[in-house]
Amino acid sequence: MTGPLFPQGGPNMGQPAPRYEGRAKVTGEARYPSDVRLPRTAHACLHLSRIGRGTIRGFDLTAARAVHGVIDILTHETVGDAIRQTPAIYQGGYTSDSLLPLGSAEIAHWGQPIAMVVAETYEAAREAAQRIVVTTAPHPSPAVDINAPGAETRALEPMMVQAGDFDAAYAAGPIRIDARYTTPAQHQNPMELFATQCVWEGDRLTVHEPSQYVNSVKFGLAEQLGVPADNIRVISTHVGGAFGAKGFLTQRTALVAIAARRLGRPVKLVATREQGFTVSGYRAETRQHVQLAATRDGRLTALRHEGWELTSRADTVAMGGASMTTRLYACPNILGRVNTVAADRSTPGFMRAPGEVPYGFALETALDELADRLGMDPVELRRVNDTQTEPVGGLPYTSRSLMRCFDVAAATFGWSGRSPRPGSMREGDWLIGWGCASAYYPAQAGNSAARVRLTADGTAHVASAGHELGQGMTTMMAQVAAEELGVPLERVTVSLGDSDLPPAVVNGGSAGTASVASAIMIACDAIRARLGVPRDAPYAALRAAVAASGLAFVEELGEARAHGRSPESLPDMYRGRALPLGGVELPDRVQFAMGAQFVELRIHRWTREIRVRRAVGAFAAGRIINPRTSHSQLLGGMIWGIGSALHEHTDIDQRNAAYTNANLADYLVPVHADISEIQAILVSEEDRLVNQAGVKGVGEIGVVGVAAAISNAVFHATGRRLRDLPIKLEHLL
Amino acid sequence: MNDQIRLVLNGAPRTLPPHQSPTTTLLDWLRAEGLTGAKEGCAEGDCGACTVVLEGADGARTPVNACLCVLGQLHGRAIRTVEGLGPQHTVPRALAEADATQCGFCTPGIVMSAWAHTREGGDPHEALAGNLCRCTGYRPILDAMARMQDDGAAPPAPMVPDSAKFGGFHLPASLDEALALRAVRPEALVLMGGTDLGLRFSEHREHPAQVLCLLNVAEMRGVEVRPTGLRIGAAASYAEWLRACRADAAWAPLVPYLARLGSRQIRGLGTVAGNLGTASPIGDALPVLLALGAVVEVAQLRGVRHIPVGEFLTGYRRNALVPEELIVAIHLPRPPEGAFLAAEKLSRRHDQDISAVSLAALITFEDGVVREARLAFGGMDATARRCAPAEAALRGRPLDDGALAGAGQALDFAPMADWRGSAEFRMEAARGLLRRLALRHAGLPAEIFA
Ligand SMILES: Cc1cc2nc3c(=O)[nH]c(=O)nc-3n(C[C@H](O)[C@H](O)[C@H](O)COP(=O)(O)OP(=O)(O)OC[C@H]3O[C@@H](n4cnc5c(N)ncnc54)[C@H](O)[C@@H]3O)c2cc1C
Ligand code: FES
Ligand code: FES
Repeated sequence: MTGPLFPQGGPNMGQPAPRYEGRAKVTGEARYPSDVRLPRTAHACLHLSRIGRGTIRGFDLTAARAVHGVIDILTHETVGDAIRQTPAIYQGGYTSDSLLPLGSAEIAHWGQPIAMVVAETYEAAREAAQRIVVTTAPHPSPAVDINAPGAETRALEPMMVQAGDFDAAYAAGPIRIDARYTTPAQHQNPMELFATQCVWEGDRLTVHEPSQYVNSVKFGLAEQLGVPADNIRVISTHVGGAFGAKGFLTQRTALVAIAARRLGRPVKLVATREQGFTVSGYRAETRQHVQLAATRDGRLTALRHEGWELTSRADTVAMGGASMTTRLYACPNILGRVNTVAADRSTPGFMRAPGEVPYGFALETALDELADRLGMDPVELRRVNDTQTEPVGGLPYTSRSLMRCFDVAAATFGWSGRSPRPGSMREGDWLIGWGCASAYYPAQAGNSAARVRLTADGTAHVASAGHELGQGMTTMMAQVAAEELGVPLERVTVSLGDSDLPPAVVNGGSAGTASVASAIMIACDAIRARLGVPRDAPYAALRAAVAASGLAFVEELGEARAHGRSPESLPDMYRGRALPLGGVELPDRVQFAMGAQFVELRIHRWTREIRVRRAVGAFAAGRIINPRTSHSQLLGGMIWGIGSALHEHTDIDQRNAAYTNANLADYLVPVHADISEIQAILVSEEDRLVNQAGVKGVGEIGVVGVAAAISNAVFHATGRRLRDLPIKLEHLL
Repeated sequence: MNDQIRLVLNGAPRTLPPHQSPTTTLLDWLRAEGLTGAKEGCAEGDCGACTVVLEGADGARTPVNACLCVLGQLHGRAIRTVEGLGPQHTVPRALAEADATQCGFCTPGIVMSAWAHTREGGDPHEALAGNLCRCTGYRPILDAMARMQDDGAAPPAPMVPDSAKFGGFHLPASLDEALALRAVRPEALVLMGGTDLGLRFSEHREHPAQVLCLLNVAEMRGVEVRPTGLRIGAAASYAEWLRACRADAAWAPLVPYLARLGSRQIRGLGTVAGNLGTASPIGDALPVLLALGAVVEVAQLRGVRHIPVGEFLTGYRRNALVPEELIVAIHLPRPPEGAFLAAEKLSRRHDQDISAVSLAALITFEDGVVREARLAFGGMDATARRCAPAEAALRGRPLDDGALAGAGQALDFAPMADWRGSAEFRMEAARGLLRRLALRHAGLPAEIFA
């Protein structure tokens, strides 16, 4: 590839500033929570249940205790009531599931932590953990997955979406599609493992843990341990990837905290890759049913999307993606439904574009089926059904640039050269397939605060408890402050990832940039107002104003309240309750970032090997503060989409719901060679409504629609319509 | 005899304290030393976050997984970590400039793979196959790689690979010494690269009482190119074998196949002897050895045996070694002039994935038709093995699609079904790989990147 390495600034795009912490990362200096070294650290190792649902009859800890260097072993018998039951995030609490850590003899699922060893060395802890003998009574027939006979299905009425009369319109539809799809369980597998280090100094606790939301850890732990939240500090300066896995407080943290308290020493836990598969949530498997009716010129007359999502017995968790797929295209008669299917599994959670990836796969594949039935170009089908008015409530989109994305991406891809008939494009023994799909992601924001300090020497410092997960939060924070104040970027420093800083929204739902940028803008406005400096004043004037003020520095706190949140919600942000809001949840409008995905793949005639040869995506997401870090997010997202379609699949043992490929040799994520050419295009879009910063967020949209584009390309190559992910070689034989 | 581990770390010689456990992984040790640049992402050799580079005395740079190596194995070696490049080095700088890092957790490992690549060259995709990155989508990393250059840095002064013993960890330097140790310590774990055994140290943090590590045995080192073929020392890494294949046109057809065996890191440590020792049905070296008619040289104090590889592999993860024997070398006969040699691997993910099915073929011709065909498959039976009916089906026919399709119908396998593939899938895949030979034979692109 020639030309610049990343897109330069353009309309409504900021400067492609290099990553703020890039140097620290490439030199190995960046300290992740597991790199922090605390004197006298003891090491912990979890022992996870090796049966599915069942009951613990007893522990024999003799062999484990005999391992040289073992200090303490925590089980439900030894922790007593040191940890309190608190509600999960889904019930307004903080934790990622509602199982009480080491709470009782009941085992809810395979892989549940049932003991933790603490020892002088990690080796000793690990060995002892393996020597723990547990007598158990397994449940005779646990429900292992979404199709298990014992799993309980429940319709979630509040998630129902309805417009017009679907049944009548579908029955009368001239062209109809009726198809069922499945998507698998998947795990985020950030490269960094789930680590936690806890150290008590008197009654004050410091936690080093990679997190997307330090305040959920802080306030949740305070509730669990019954200590004042003011005594807890959670530090998460660098996070080695998260993708939803590090969003909320998991069971491990309280265990490490009480172990450290019992010992009076710092305790460090690094869960293994395998253990990580049940330490946090994951993308649950789904079944979906889509029915479409359309006129012969492609106008949708009826659209029904119903989903079934796996959940645990303990928690009812649903991503509810039908609320979005029913609001993407013009259609008078709509029905959306969501059901949960509770099985004996760990509680699922968020994984990059949680509802959009599975539901988007189903709907966008169904549309391709419709286009094929109509003999219509799939891009034109989307154009015919494009709308500026959301179809269920008749609300406006704050902005919507779907077809501009399609046009840009199609031109770059060379879509007009496609021969529509399946199997008609070949190169030697390779069948060529071209496919496309829409991408979308709700634009959301959450209440957030930021403090900006302008010092007399002309430097600025920005602080907020937002998180650097790799998405570019640090760089963005510096850039916004620099732009708002007119301070040169290299004179701005940033602090984040620390619960002692002004609180920010959970870094999920692609809401981090929009939320924190808005707070920084408010703080900068306040600084300028206090100094009496107008907006576009030169840097010299700003410095002169601080000097004239006689103050060593001027500092302001900005608090941004998300659209749709009440003024009363602001104090909640100081209690670890700042969650994103937006998308289709607002009474007055709908907010979406949109995009178009195009894929070319090749399938070998004899071996059925599938290779994605190129992928082109174009995305419109409001203001782009840094095109360079945004572009990187989108590329990474597209690769995720490819993995999601072709590789990623957590295998479930039908006897006990064990995850049988819980390692990176068998849980396949894409490697370098999995894609030859990939291009993410930023389509400029201005949205003054969506939030103060005009930002929609790009962290997740890159993944959405890729799987459908791939399955549509497989159909184009082979004439085979595959409705179950991941697409495997065997499916094509 | 040495009883303390000596190594060179980032250019500085180090002698480790006598109580240092020789089976501590390099990764754990580095991190405990405060060099936390190398990260743990899996402890199984799968992710590359722990990548460091072994600096050869000849300047060669071999990236390896620090999570799989144990300190005892590294006695006498020179290791460089990300900290040893220094903050101004052009390789990390190029990655930062290309925005090739997001969360950064994979980055130190990628820096080290890239640093080795600037010297070793080759396909950058292949250079990075052992480094997973969950964030960047890889593109920017490849862009950065294209802008890097060898820094020309000389390797540190070499250490002599002498004989050593660290408690129960034995590092003999000669075959006699090794065989004598083997005879008195039949219970000792025989350790070579450790890419199979290393999991016991890294993933399970085991500390076996007795380890016999053969990496420094003079008679087992290196790959020797002879007119009759290759002598692959039992301690020679896949990387050394691959280097020899690249240098000699007769072996060139094996290059793309061997380049997909594990990753560069795994090939830097792993050995053919280890593949034979494990004798897995999907060991990738085995079909190649079978097709070429390799002979395994094994020794014990009482004498030497030369065992044809087909007899060496006796069953599922079983081989013909008796307890006191060690593999000394593998003799790989040179393919006859004009013969057709090919090796194919099918895996769910193209790179850095274990084979579902593999095939190696050596075919000789007479008057334009097949005289003799040797077809060996992996993943189709309890052990890698040849398929006589398919070989017979090719005899006397021109090597074209029709003949290979016919050979596919003659396969006498009843493959196992596992989650890498159903039985039918494996059969279809084996047939597909056979048909791909026609393309290769015709000189047409059969490679996935063609
Ligand atoms: C991430 C990863 C990817 C991998 N990918 C592949 C792949 O694509 N294809 C593939 O085939 N394999 C793969 N492997 C497996 C492994 O690399 C190979 O089997 C390798 O050949 C083992 O060699 P080693 O020297 O590391 O063996 P070790 O682990 O040191 O030993 C393996 C066995 O051989 C025995 N042994 C070794 N040397 C001798 C000797 N001289 N005499 C007697 N016994 C001996 C040992 O006792 C042991 O039982 C992979 C492994 C990992 C961790
Ligand atoms: S830690 Fe993953 S390869 Fe070593
Ligand atoms: S930058 Fe996060 S894993 Fe590579």
